[in-house]
Amino acid sequence: MTTQAPVETTMETKPLLMKVRGMSMSYGAGPAENKILENLDLDVEYGQFISIVGPSGVGKTTLLRCLSGLLKPKAGTIEVSGTKINGPHPDLAVVFQDYSRSLMPWMTTRENVAFPLQGKGIGKAERNKLADEHLAAVGLEGQGGKFPWEMSGGMQQRVAIARALAYNAKVLLMDEPFASVDAQTRFDLEDLVLDLQHKLGVTILLVTHDIDEALYLADKVVVIAEKPATVVDEIVTGFGETRDQLATKADPRFTEARARILVRLRQD
Amino acid sequence: MTNATLNAPAVPSRASKAKAPSSSAAAGRKILVSSWLIVAVVAAWWFGSANSTNFFIPSLESILEALVRDLGNGVIISGAWYSLSNLFVGLALAAFFGICGGLLLGEVPLLLKIVDPIIHFFRAVPQAALVPMIIGVFGMGQGPKMGTIAFACMWPILLNTIDGILGIEPTVRKFSKVYRIPRGLHFRRVILPGATPQIVAGIRVALPIGITVMVVSEMFASIEGLGFYILNSSATFKVPETWAGALLVGVIGYIISILFVLVEKRILRWYHASGAQ
Repeated sequence: MTTQAPVETTMETKPLLMKVRGMSMSYGAGPAENKILENLDLDVEYGQFISIVGPSGVGKTTLLRCLSGLLKPKAGTIEVSGTKINGPHPDLAVVFQDYSRSLMPWMTTRENVAFPLQGKGIGKAERNKLADEHLAAVGLEGQGGKFPWEMSGGMQQRVAIARALAYNAKVLLMDEPFASVDAQTRFDLEDLVLDLQHKLGVTILLVTHDIDEALYLADKVVVIAEKPATVVDEIVTGFGETRDQLATKADPRFTEARARILVRLRQD
Repeated sequence: MTNATLNAPAVPSRASKAKAPSSSAAAGRKILVSSWLIVAVVAAWWFGSANSTNFFIPSLESILEALVRDLGNGVIISGAWYSLSNLFVGLALAAFFGICGGLLLGEVPLLLKIVDPIIHFFRAVPQAALVPMIIGVFGMGQGPKMGTIAFACMWPILLNTIDGILGIEPTVRKFSKVYRIPRGLHFRRVILPGATPQIVAGIRVALPIGITVMVVSEMFASIEGLGFYILNSSATFKVPETWAGALLVGVIGYIISILFVLVEKRILRWYHASGAQ
């Protein structure tokens, strides 16, 4: 165990929270080996919002599963706060794509949010208090007694976000978290996540196939493509903290970056 | 726009007004729909058998007379008590071993592969056929009867528990892994509730099996219970008593299954309300 973050040799101004080097992933072996990811590098700074964008089927979900420790990469290393990780880690929380499957219908929303805290050994009163606080933070104040199936899709995904935040991880990994909700709800959730990120200073890594969403949310967009997939481009957006669904998306830098990503993805 | 807003409240209020009387009428109709046939069958039985001259088909009146008499003098009550205690202990054992075994086999695929053929063999054997063997080996006390019921009822519970475990949403398992839920907690709060709908369905299937085996087990080397009452009255040509015993077993089975449905609705409220089935 290291006692402090290692000194970076590169020119980054902020220390790295997460560092991925040479990560490869494949299924099967020998001639039937199906290579999904190859030699992937990724730097995540403290407090950064990173979008990973790529076409459907490129291996984004595999990438996120490797990062979350659910899958063991065939090669390469993943470090969090300077420590190599080897499986699920308390500094990493995941918001799954399908809220209706990842929330447990036999638990109230409060129980759903508090449950991972129980796993951490936090006492009942304390974890219920934390659950209520985080439900309030995602705009679900006083709804802890409801069951997930009594709520709309957008509200359920808010519960899933509250659960991830309450877990108090350093990095939130989000796997196409807004893919199953309608457009207006999607915009609301995007703005909610941006707001929470600024308030709580949490670092977010979001995977999406939606270029607009990737650009709108991120400080840095990482484009993955090709087969096996690897990082083909990185764009620092520079939109700052305040974003607006209309103004930001009309920003010339936004349209320029979108065109650049589209062209890059079309080459495949 | 204004028009629509003005009209808007009128629509739901009319709908809710129309809904109130129709829902109570619907409830009345529902009771009528599900009860008229029972009344008709009982009436047909009563009048059809009233003047029966066939010794083996007594009149319903004489059957009920025998039933009321033997309920009153305690003959049936003690028999029913004996039978039901066997049934409940047997079912409880079946549920315990079926659920524990199912959890283990559902979570360990290799083990399931090994024992799968054996499970399906035992499930395919008509459980009543095992009664003479088990009682022959273990004797005629209450214990072997409970054991036989437990053995017979365990299979559907075991198989359904396995199905329930295998049917658990993979995302929920991923959630447990990522959030590092400790094993015991994961079992108690994720796996067990997730499999509960199937477990409960297995117990529902096991109930009539248990009642059948309960009666059959008391027809072998037994001097107590409802099965014995039926067999004994038949052997001594007390035909109305024989019918009364069979009728009573049917009624008991019916009441147990109704009670079970009520319990099930409570336990699985989330399941039915969420439309997860």
